[in-house]
Amino acid sequence: MPTIAGPSLSPHKRIVAARSENTGCPRSAEDITPRKRKLRSDSAAAVPTPIKRKSPRRCALMAEVEEEPNGMLETQFDCLDGKSKWNPRDDDQMKAVKEALHVSTAPSTVVCREDEQRRALEFVKGCMEQNKAGSLYICGCPGTGKSLSMEKLRLQAEDWAKQEGLPCLETVSVNCMSLTKTTDIFSKVRPCAIQIPPSSWLIIADEMDYLITRDRRVLHELFMLTTLPLSRCILIGVANAIDLADRFLPKLKSLNCKPLVVTFRAYSMQQIVRILQERLVELPYVAFQPKALELCARKVSAASGDMRKALSVCRSALEILETEVKGSTDEEPQIPVPEDQMVKMDHMVAALAKTFKSPVVDTIQSLPQHQQIIVCSAAKAFRGSKKDRTTAELNNLYMEICKSSMITPAGITEFTNMCTVLNDQGILKLSQARNDKLKRVSLRVDEADITFALKEIRFFRNCLL
Amino acid sequence: MGKENPAEKALNLIRGRLCDPTFVFRPLSGPPDSNYSKLKFIVSTSITEGCNNSILLLGPRGSGKAAVLDLVVGDLMEEYPDSVTLIRLNGLLHSEDNCAFKEIARQLCMEHHLLFSKMASFDENSQFIIAMLRECGLAHKTIIFVLDEFDMFAQASGKQRLLYSLLDAMQSVTSQAVVVGISSRLDADQLLEKRVRSRFSHRKILFLPPSREEIDSLLEHLLSLPADSSFPSGYVTQFNEKIKNITSDTRFKDMLKTFLNANSTVNSLLKFIFRAVSSMNLESGLLSLENFKTALSSMLRQPKLEAVRDCSILELYLLVCMRRLEVKEQSSYNFISVMKEYKTIHDSFQTSDFYAQNVCLRAFEHLREREVICYAENRGQSQAGEYRPMKLLISASELHQGMRSHACCPAILLKLLDH
Repeated sequence: MPTIAGPSLSPHKRIVAARSENTGCPRSAEDITPRKRKLRSDSAAAVPTPIKRKSPRRCALMAEVEEEPNGMLETQFDCLDGKSKWNPRDDDQMKAVKEALHVSTAPSTVVCREDEQRRALEFVKGCMEQNKAGSLYICGCPGTGKSLSMEKLRLQAEDWAKQEGLPCLETVSVNCMSLTKTTDIFSKVRPCAIQIPPSSWLIIADEMDYLITRDRRVLHELFMLTTLPLSRCILIGVANAIDLADRFLPKLKSLNCKPLVVTFRAYSMQQIVRILQERLVELPYVAFQPKALELCARKVSAASGDMRKALSVCRSALEILETEVKGSTDEEPQIPVPEDQMVKMDHMVAALAKTFKSPVVDTIQSLPQHQQIIVCSAAKAFRGSKKDRTTAELNNLYMEICKSSMITPAGITEFTNMCTVLNDQGILKLSQARNDKLKRVSLRVDEADITFALKEIRFFRNCLL
Repeated sequence: MGKENPAEKALNLIRGRLCDPTFVFRPLSGPPDSNYSKLKFIVSTSITEGCNNSILLLGPRGSGKAAVLDLVVGDLMEEYPDSVTLIRLNGLLHSEDNCAFKEIARQLCMEHHLLFSKMASFDENSQFIIAMLRECGLAHKTIIFVLDEFDMFAQASGKQRLLYSLLDAMQSVTSQAVVVGISSRLDADQLLEKRVRSRFSHRKILFLPPSREEIDSLLEHLLSLPADSSFPSGYVTQFNEKIKNITSDTRFKDMLKTFLNANSTVNSLLKFIFRAVSSMNLESGLLSLENFKTALSSMLRQPKLEAVRDCSILELYLLVCMRRLEVKEQSSYNFISVMKEYKTIHDSFQTSDFYAQNVCLRAFEHLREREVICYAENRGQSQAGEYRPMKLLISASELHQGMRSHACCPAILLKLLDH
C-alpha cells in the first residue's frame, strides 16, 4: 500500500491513514471515536493513529433515494425525522458536528463527482489494461473537489489493479508548489520510471501551473514522458486554468498526445446541499434546519461554487449558535433548554453577512472626521474621467469643503499624514514622488460604498450630491 | 533610597501604565462581544477541539491589534501550558519564502530545544516543518502562526508560496494549527491568489476606534490611582477627585473632540495622555486642565507656521514679494526679481522698511536655512545664489495664518498679500 515515493510524497496532501475495513454494523453516536483523543487524557498515554471514518450508516430508505436526484431534498429530510434532538450545550455533540463540517475531514465517498471520477477511472483502467501510456488533465476552480477526487481515484486504481491481478500500480503524488526548482519534479518521478519488470505507473501533479516556465520546457517534457516508446506512464495534471493544454502545449497536438480534459465545474446549489447533508447524515441528531442549509448553498453557489466556503459559513453559523447558547447559560442557568435548538435561518444569515461583507463600510463610518472629509473630497474629485490627482489638488478641494462648513482645515503636513494613513488602510492609493505635494492620489474604494457609509450624516450627504 | 515624593511616584506609575499595552487593553476585553473575546473564542476552540482555523485582524495602525493578540496568547498560555507553540513572522522581514521557512524552522527548534542548522536547505526546512506539524498534531499541541503585516506576504512574491503551504497544511487532518494574520489594509484578503483565498477561512475581526463611552472608561482606568498603602490616602482621593473634575469639564470634552477629529486610534490617545501627564506640576501633585491644553497644542503643531511666526519683518516682506510674484504667474523667480518687486512696493507705498541688498541677501539665507524657501532645482550649483531660481515651501494660507499670528506684522503686508 505505501507508495514508492515515501519521502517525496507531497507534504501538503491530505494524508489518508491506513485503510480500515468497512464494518457493516451501524454505529451510534457514542461509538464514533473522536478523531483526536480528548485533551484531558494524560500525555503519557500512547499516541493513537488517526482513525479513518467508517462508511456512513445508510438507512434503507436513503439507498433508494439515491437514484432520484430531484425531490431528493424532501425525502432526505423525512429520513431525518427519526433522529433525536440535538443538545448544543453538550460539548461532545457540538464537537462532533464541527468535525463533520471541517474542511480537513475527508468524506469516505465523494458525492456529486461520480461522473467525473468515473470518466477518469475508466481512462486509467483503459491505459492499464492495454499497457499504454496516457495523459489526463483535470481542471476547475478552487474548492471543487479535484485533489480529493484524485486521492480517491488513486486508491480505487490500486485496488482495481490488485483485483485484476495486474502488476502492482506505482503512484507518485507531487504538489508542484513545494518544488524549489521546476526540474525537481523529474527527480521525484525517477524512482517510478526505473522498474523491473516494467509496470504501469501513475503520476498525479497537483497545481500544475507552477511548472509553467517561459520556455515551457518542463511541462512539455513531462507530457512527453507519455509519448516515449514503451512508456507506461499515466500522467494526471491538476490545475485551475481550463485551457492550459491548449495554451501552453501546442506541440502535443502535433504529436497526437493531447491530454484528455475533465472539467470539474463549480458546485450548484443542489450539489452543495447534498454534500452538506452527506456530511451530517452520520450524526444521530438534527443540527441544521434544512432551510438554513439551502440558504447557505444558494448564496455560496451564486458567489463562487467553492465548497470550502460553504463549509466555513456553516461552521461560522455553528459558532454563532454556540455563543448564543453559552451566553444565555451564563446569565440564567434556570431557564430550561428550549426545544428545537438548531442552527436556524437567522444564524445562517448572520454567518453569511460576516463572510461576504467587506469591512470597508464599517471602517469609513468610524474614521475621524477630517479623514472622512478627505475621503468625501476624493469621491467628488474622481467622479469624472480623471482618475488620479496630485495631493495639492486634493488639498484644495478639502479646504473648500472645510471652508464651506466653517471647519478649521488641517495644515498641509497633517493632511499628507492623513493621506498616508488612508493609503495604509487601502482606501486611497498614493504614488511615490520626491515632493510631497506632487504625489498622485487615486481612490481604491467604490464611490457607492462611500455614499452608503456616510449617508447618515447630513453634511456628507449634501457634500456628495 | 529616601522618601519618594508621592507625586513622582504617581507620575511614574501612570507613565508605566501608559507604556504597557497589556494594562491598556485589559478593560477593553471585558465585554463578551469585544474583539478580545471573539479572538479568544476562536483560538481556544482550535486548541481544545483540535480543529484548524485561520483568521485576519484588520484595522488602522495603532488600534491595538497586536496588543490584543498578545493578551489572548498570554492568557491561553496560562490556561493551557505546554499546549501552545507560538511562531511569529513579520511581512517586512520574512516575505521571501526561503527566509520565512528558515525563520519558522529556527523558531520551532528553539521551542522544542532542538539544534538548528543554518546550512539547512529550503527543502530540508520545509520537510522539517511538515514533520513538526504532524508531530505536534499527534501530541495535541497547537501551533499558532502570527503573520504581522499580512499584506506584505501577499504582495511580495508572485507565488505566495508560504501562505499556500501554511494554509494547505491546515487542510490536513494531522496538523493542529491556527494562522492569524494582522494587517492594516482592509482589502488584504483580496490580495491573495484565488487558490490561497479559497483555503483561507474568511474570518475577519475589525478593530475600530473606541467609542466615547469606551474612551471615558479608558481614561478613568488609566489615570485613577489605586488605593493601596504605598500612597498617602488623602493624596489618592484628592488626585482621583481632580481627574473626575477634569474629565467632566466641557472644555476638556471639546479638547478631546478636537483631538479625536484628527486621529482617533488608541495609540494616539495614549501619546496625548502621556504628554499631558508628563507636564504635571510636581509640587501640587495634581493634574490640571492646563496640562492637557499644552499636550494638545504640542501634538497639533504646525512647524511651518511657527517658522513664519518667528520671521523678522524684512523676511516677511521677502515672503510676501515672492507670493506676489507667484500670483502674477511668474513661474520662476530668483533673488534679483524679488528685489525688484520689493523696490516696487517701496516706491508705491513709501514704506519705512527699505534695506540694502546685502542685508536682504542675509535675510534670504535665513529663510533658506529654515526651509521656508529653497532652490527650485538642484542643478546650476555653479551659478551665484542670487541668480538661481527659488520657490516657496509654504502655501499661501499658511503664510497668511502665520502673518496674522505674528507678533508685530505691519498691516500693509497683509494688505499686500491679499491684493
